[in-house]
Amino acid sequence: MGLRTVEIFLGPQHPGAPGNVAFKLTLDGERVVDAEVVPGYLHRGFEKLMEYRWWEVNVVMAPRFCVEDPDNFELAYVLAVENLYGIEVPEKAKYVRTIIAEMSRIQSHLFWLLFMGAAVGARYIPSWAMAAREEILKWYDYITGHRIYHHYLVPGGIRWNIPRDFRERTLKVLKFVNKIVDDIKKALYENKIFIARTRGIGILKPQDAIRLSATGPVLRGSGVRYDVRKVDPYEAYDEVEFNIPVGEYGDTYDRCLVRLKEIYESMNIIRQLLDKVEKLIDDKHYRYKIPLVAPPGEGIGRVESARGEYIVHITSTGGQTPYRIRLRTPSMPHLTTVIKHIVKNEEVTIADFPIIVKSLDPCAPDLDR
Amino acid sequence: MVLGAIILGLKYLFTRPYTRLVPEKERPFKTETTRGKHVLYMDKCTGCTMCQRVCPADAIQMVRVEGDWKRNKKKIFPRIDLHRCTFCAMCVEVCPTGALAMTDITGWELTTEDKEKTIYMPYELSEPEPPYRITVSKNKWLPPPPFYSKKKLIEKTSNK
Repeated sequence: MGLRTVEIFLGPQHPGAPGNVAFKLTLDGERVVDAEVVPGYLHRGFEKLMEYRWWEVNVVMAPRFCVEDPDNFELAYVLAVENLYGIEVPEKAKYVRTIIAEMSRIQSHLFWLLFMGAAVGARYIPSWAMAAREEILKWYDYITGHRIYHHYLVPGGIRWNIPRDFRERTLKVLKFVNKIVDDIKKALYENKIFIARTRGIGILKPQDAIRLSATGPVLRGSGVRYDVRKVDPYEAYDEVEFNIPVGEYGDTYDRCLVRLKEIYESMNIIRQLLDKVEKLIDDKHYRYKIPLVAPPGEGIGRVESARGEYIVHITSTGGQTPYRIRLRTPSMPHLTTVIKHIVKNEEVTIADFPIIVKSLDPCAPDLDR
Repeated sequence: MVLGAIILGLKYLFTRPYTRLVPEKERPFKTETTRGKHVLYMDKCTGCTMCQRVCPADAIQMVRVEGDWKRNKKKIFPRIDLHRCTFCAMCVEVCPTGALAMTDITGWELTTEDKEKTIYMPYELSEPEPPYRITVSKNKWLPPPPFYSKKKLIEKTSNK
């Protein structure tokens, strides 16, 4: 720490900060020399709160770690409970759950596009992305009854049956989203200002990404073909065909491109599953009621959320409530080790810093939880 | 290209705005399944306190209401604090007699400047202000989901 360096505090209200999280930056002139994350602004103690509620009621708590991608978080908890009870869910529930989770991934990436567009100064992108996301939220309202936190996936299946026009509604939403994402691709990803601001900055090499336990689009942006949906398929992912988009150089642009391609892949997955759901539309067999008291033991739920690998580990001593719940959230390594590594190994200026942080797509609530 | 983005932006400039003027011109967006304020059928309630026990937000307390209740000997009914409520419909699902249901009264229709007005007593819950429609009731789970057989469960746990 010499005379030339200055310490500044970025966030939690700064528009460049990703949500309610702050950074302590050490600056040498314009260059960021060190970045330290300051978490805790959103800590609500969910792991503890969940220890006092019944197994099925905890579904209400499970999505609240992440506003943008609630259903994958809900799904991981539900899978963990099912693993503990040793239940297999009906076929219809399996397909519907996968569709709900993929839709959640799309809306999460659209929400990220809002921030990315704002971070690079493309002010028209946020309103387009939000219009597309709004259409998905309306779809959620129709299927589950709520817009943001759906409480729709429960241990043993889905909470209630799907409406009869499920397929038509979903296809209509996908058509609308597809059109807007195409436009965003043209306006943002082929825009030379955007390319100039993102190409070649924030480089993360594959071996570093693995060493720093990055997951999700950050890891795939570095060129590592790793996806929990492929390596450890859960729900109906082993019955659909999809590609894993990977980046070439591991820079900010590659991470952005991976997310855009993932939106198309998710839409592809949903279209494949809609045909299977259509065949089971009259099936009333969509849920098992689970016993109130769980068997003693452990359960693990592992999903690929929009931000990366998310794991729920629960322990039961044979009661009505969990004994302990431990969550492995994807944003923690991205904001602590990965951002530090990028800043130390590259000349990052203060103007590029928010773009790099946003390209990692961190989520403050899931960091603090 | 930059020019392409500008042309695309101009195209969007002349499209109809996606946002809507609520409540000046339109009512808030609702569907047939939107979960909102509760309805309490006081003649069906038995005062079993299941809704209070299941509520994840501690929004429900049981209060005594005087009167001649045939099914409710203890004369206790749920009182709901909609300020705490997360509208998860767990209380509706768990109610054994179907005394609770949900309407689509939600959003700005429930806003108030006085925090004490967010607590709804049983009589207020039993008569919601029209217009409303029932969105979630016990009928939503008809036929009730089958109980996961204990035999299967024991087999699975013994393998562990």
